[in-house]
Amino acid sequence: MKLRRIVAALLIGAALGLPALSASPARAETASDIVAAADKVRNPDQPFRSTDTLTEYVSGKPKNQNVLTVYAKLDPVTRQFRNLILYVQPPRDAGKMVLLDKRAFWFYDPASKASVRISPQQRLTGQASVADVLTVNLSMDFTAALVGDETIQDSEHKDRHCAHIDMHAANALATYNRIEYWVERGTSNPIKAKFYSDSGRLLKILYYRGFRESLGRVRPLEAIIIDAVSSALVTTVDFGDQHFQDVPETWFQRDYLPHLQGQ
Amino acid sequence: MRAIRVAELAILAALAGASSANAQTGDENKDLDRIPDLAAAPVAASPPATSGGGQSLYLENAFTLNATRSGFVVAPPPPSPTPWQELLFLDARKAWRLDSRLSLTFSGRLNLREEPDIHFPGQENVRLDLREAYLSWTPVDGTFFDLGRVNLKSGVALGFNPTDFFKTRSVVEPLSADPSVQREDRLGALMVRAQRVWQGGSITIAYAPGLYRPTPIYSDLDLPSLNPVFDRTNAADRWLIKTSITVHDDFSPEFLVYHEGDRTQFGVNLTQSLGNKIVAYAEWAGGDAPSLIDDALSYGRETGTIPQAAPSVLPDDPRRSFMNRLSAGLSYTTQSMITFNLEYHYDQTGFSQADWGDWFQRGQALARYGPATAQLWYIREYAQDQGEILSQQSAFLRFDRTDAFVHNLELSGFVNVDLYDGSGLTQLSADYYLSNTFTIGVLGNASFGDRRTDFGSLPGAASILIKLARYF
Repeated sequence: MKLRRIVAALLIGAALGLPALSASPARAETASDIVAAADKVRNPDQPFRSTDTLTEYVSGKPKNQNVLTVYAKLDPVTRQFRNLILYVQPPRDAGKMVLLDKRAFWFYDPASKASVRISPQQRLTGQASVADVLTVNLSMDFTAALVGDETIQDSEHKDRHCAHIDMHAANALATYNRIEYWVERGTSNPIKAKFYSDSGRLLKILYYRGFRESLGRVRPLEAIIIDAVSSALVTTVDFGDQHFQDVPETWFQRDYLPHLQGQ
Repeated sequence: MRAIRVAELAILAALAGASSANAQTGDENKDLDRIPDLAAAPVAASPPATSGGGQSLYLENAFTLNATRSGFVVAPPPPSPTPWQELLFLDARKAWRLDSRLSLTFSGRLNLREEPDIHFPGQENVRLDLREAYLSWTPVDGTFFDLGRVNLKSGVALGFNPTDFFKTRSVVEPLSADPSVQREDRLGALMVRAQRVWQGGSITIAYAPGLYRPTPIYSDLDLPSLNPVFDRTNAADRWLIKTSITVHDDFSPEFLVYHEGDRTQFGVNLTQSLGNKIVAYAEWAGGDAPSLIDDALSYGRETGTIPQAAPSVLPDDPRRSFMNRLSAGLSYTTQSMITFNLEYHYDQTGFSQADWGDWFQRGQALARYGPATAQLWYIREYAQDQGEILSQQSAFLRFDRTDAFVHNLELSGFVNVDLYDGSGLTQLSADYYLSNTFTIGVLGNASFGDRRTDFGSLPGAASILIKLARYF
């Protein structure tokens, strides 16, 4: 009898509470909405420039450091970012560039002064792919389903109440086949993501951190990427020197690449 | 009662789910154990946003050992390849911004070399390769004017670039046989270049004046020391107009018209992605031209290498006809990030199977090295000096893999096969990045084929190079 009352109370509470919650503008209604809100936290709508420092740790020790300048501009049609990525460091790579524009990807090497067309798969080679993937608007390229709410620890071991979302590639432009994604309830801050290959193999684990004011709102200015294939490899990314900057359309022409040095 | 049972089950299921989720999130938190102690990391100094762009300075030491062949069908000209070479060079690329619209670019390499067949110390030990030195003016964004020595490259293929019209005589003394690497150290031509880039395409117009008379082909032993050798790059008036047009997001063909002396050539570059892992590309050039044999022999006579009155050692035909050159291929990147490039190369001016038959038959009849065999080898040297392929048809396969087997190890290699006789050249190179500033590498190549084949008849059989580079 007592149990019946509890159940009844729960049912009534659920009946009363759920509509109230769903009517609340603060609640991220669908999985797609949650991902879209997190996209807005990660990147602004306006063209911007960022200097990303990538530090590779091998077996816990810092080994390599890459510095990349990223010029990003949102395509109004696809709502996806077009990126120009310039290698600044290490010295052996300085001046190399990757142009990632819709489906046309080019790699430019100032040593050979030649631009080579690369495939969507080949764009994932090298550190420029990290900077590229971090600007992808996930809501555009993936279908999302809510797995449930979970409390997980962020990279600083703080508990975060998150929506756990399972995402699958929705088009050929999607960089990965599947992503598991944890987005903090209330703030829409992205906390964690897991990236899988076509065969279902876990490739990378990503933690966002360093939430600070940049480009008009609080955004994650650091990321930690754990390589699930090469277990000893961890990469940290610092998004520095971020500011809004117009990126002219001509910059996305491959013949412009040799002229871009030091813009 | 039934409704209550369902509700009870729902609660139990929810509780079970919660406990399962808790178990999962517990697992999720285990990922944190793999994050290293970031406090141990060096503090990344935020570099100035414009540093590094396109500029580089490095010092490299390269030591090469060569193995030679013997028992030739056609005796090669002296000297035979040096058994070893020690090379130390400083390579620099630098640009100075003179004001907001004016800049100066320099690119060059200072070489110190030693090998058994040159005198030490002497001017042959020192060589400066002045690749580029030019002034750039940008009157408005998207419009560029360049004046000076400029390396103007065209083409989308890796192994052979029919539309790379300024490649002739531009590679001085390559350390690698990989055509895509040879592009990294070649001489530009004195020229004026204008370029306009807009949202849907670009147009480039370049004029390189003929300031010198054509000079004989240099050997490794008579390379000038500090002379910028403009005779290699400015021995004829040359014009190039090229334009690319964006037809749609994935397709931007490039069209070229090139004029040199009394010859005009046309060219096209096409690329197209096929799915996520494949890029297809094709590069074509065509125009009135003589065959390689005629071109080589007339150049030899013009430069005095071959006496004017000397009869042609191979059947020649001074008539010109429309000749095609083609490089068509695919690149494929695997899931494990190995990129393969497979290309078919065709040069109508090059040696046909009949030409090869004549070359060996004539050479065998001459038996010993003399003026006639020198002519035979001169044709091959000329093709190499011009950056052209020798046989009409060949195939090229290249691979490249970063982080191969171990982190920071880059492997690349290629095989180039003459489709008439199956002979070829193969090369494998490995670069290991010891740190952000030091790279160590090894490169080995070998030619294969029997004595009566394109590559099997070459004096050089194999070589191995060990290098250490320090970047600044």
